[in-house]
Amino acid sequence: MTNNLPVGAVDVGVTGHFATVLVFVLVGFAFAGLALGVAKLLRPSAPNPNKLTTYECGELPRGSSWVRFNVRFYLIALFFIVFDVEIIFLFPWAVVFKQLYPVPGLGAVVFWEMVIFLSILSLGLAYVWVKGDLDWVKKLIERPGGTDQAAVPADEEVTAP
Amino acid sequence: MELLNINIPDWADLAWWLPEAILCGTFLVALLADLVVRGRRPWLPFAVSVAGLVTAGAYAVAALDPGTRTILGDLVVVDGLAAYFRLLFIFVGLVTVLFAWTAEEIMGRTRENKGEFFALTVLMTAAMCVMAEAKDLLMLYLSMEAVGIVSYVMAGYMRTSLRSTEASLKYVIFGAVSSAIMLYGLSLLYGMTGSMQFDGIRAGLMGGQVDDFGLLVAVILVIAGMSYKIAAVPFHYWAPDVYEGAPTPVSALFSVGPKAAGFALMIRFFYTTLAAGPDAAGSAGLVQQINWPLLIAVMSAVTMTYGNLVALRQLNVKRMLAYSSIAHVGYLLMGFVLLTETGLQAILFYLLVYALMNLGAFLFVVAINNHLRSEHLDDYVGLGFRAPWAGVMMVVFLASLTGVPPFAGFVGKWYLFIAVMDKQWFWLAIIAALNSVVSLYYYFRVVKAMFLTRPAEGANLSPLKLHWLQYVLLAVLAIPTLGLGLFFGQFTGLADRAILMMTTGF
Repeated sequence: MTNNLPVGAVDVGVTGHFATVLVFVLVGFAFAGLALGVAKLLRPSAPNPNKLTTYECGELPRGSSWVRFNVRFYLIALFFIVFDVEIIFLFPWAVVFKQLYPVPGLGAVVFWEMVIFLSILSLGLAYVWVKGDLDWVKKLIERPGGTDQAAVPADEEVTAP
Repeated sequence: MELLNINIPDWADLAWWLPEAILCGTFLVALLADLVVRGRRPWLPFAVSVAGLVTAGAYAVAALDPGTRTILGDLVVVDGLAAYFRLLFIFVGLVTVLFAWTAEEIMGRTRENKGEFFALTVLMTAAMCVMAEAKDLLMLYLSMEAVGIVSYVMAGYMRTSLRSTEASLKYVIFGAVSSAIMLYGLSLLYGMTGSMQFDGIRAGLMGGQVDDFGLLVAVILVIAGMSYKIAAVPFHYWAPDVYEGAPTPVSALFSVGPKAAGFALMIRFFYTTLAAGPDAAGSAGLVQQINWPLLIAVMSAVTMTYGNLVALRQLNVKRMLAYSSIAHVGYLLMGFVLLTETGLQAILFYLLVYALMNLGAFLFVVAINNHLRSEHLDDYVGLGFRAPWAGVMMVVFLASLTGVPPFAGFVGKWYLFIAVMDKQWFWLAIIAALNSVVSLYYYFRVVKAMFLTRPAEGANLSPLKLHWLQYVLLAVLAIPTLGLGLFFGQFTGLADRAILMMTTGF
């Protein structure tokens, strides 16, 4: 693991790398603690019921926060990941593409690898599209055998704040 | 401008990965085909999947003697072990796809997403192949997760069935916990040795600057994660519920595929990172603080005893087979105790035999469930006369699972016994032998129900007509289950070669 170090870097070994991580963690905690501690010392403290109320986008909070969330929120989060991952891979790829493209025998590989990756992701997008999951109000699937699922009571549906 | 230091991939070596590439491609094409027909013509993805599996299988047969090929930038290796398991997984995948086609639980009129089932099976097959090939911690974890995630979906396949969704949820939760535990172990290993590669870890351990206690903790955590995959006690608790709740073809796949993949992974991981090497006497890994053989032996004994004793009380045939599969993991671990070549070869051969007989037994349950909608032992009464051919083949599978002499199960167990008795571990062999006797009771209780118990007055005794494909598949599984018990030289030879190629290759 010594041969691929950048020029000028010192090999500190595995323990050294973990020491860096440890320092990061400690500084992180210290920073947060310091900021909160100083604020605590400086600010006046005058709590009242209005101040202590949970903030819910300006609405008066009601009911318990432990309700069943609509599964569509999770679906949307999953679709987001499709595009998120795409970006995560596209950026570093784009950065090195210019360097790698002129290399004989590598340029085409670099290009087509990304094309294949994007087409697999597009298949995922096509999948959710065909399945109707891109619509917020999803069409109910016809079940020939009837449905044996109880309908979700209306009061358990949670809408976006 | 300075060029980055990147190795141009060697295309010639990548050709050894053709079966996996074909499987991945098949998955995508099958999924696309299912989208194009809007899930209305499940035969299309079915045909694509079968074609893909057969083609991949043909290439896997052609590449049965690969030497040692490291590909994908040192992440995976195709060697004898990988080639052997690859063939096994593709066979298991193909059988699963074919008999899912005949299963009401998958193809019934009210079922949804039929086409996707076949695509998912193909994807799982590909991921299991990679599990047998991984030689890098990253690939190891990635392939295990790939198998896991597909499994969770397949376990919950019957979306409207409470049992099935419960199985899926349990599987997800246990899976997440155990994979987190294993990941922690892997990260400790990496932290101590500074390498993700199996041989790099080995070199790091050989270097001798590794804290023994840390290593012990890391390896135990990794064993925990892998034991979950193969469902060994004490990490077995998910298995019965998942096998019972999942659709039967899926349970059949789970009880063979991921289990064999877990063993493949364990063999490669322990042999190439922890074992003392091919020249040493075989046993005693690098971690000297702990008595490895004893630990695995105790685990093996407890697993087989627990599986067999609990199976005694099961009246649901599917659940009984789930506990029996736990017991078989116990037998298989016997070959792992001493990490000798004999033991590993015995594991490979037994996994092949186990795949044949266990898939066969599950297929019979599928065929009966199609007609009776039940897996309860009481409903099996008289089945021997209602479906005589299938009934006789079920007897072959059950006898082989017990390990009765003329069948393949006996030969497989014989090799496992030799592996431990070779090194004077008689107590383990005795426990295993006693366990086989116990298992006779619950396997033959099914036989008794089918052939000997007198059906109640007025019971429906009309003959059951099975799907023709089910007869073909049962025969395809039953004939080698009988044949391998008599002519096993060829296949044990295959297992021997696979292990030799791995042990001498690194």
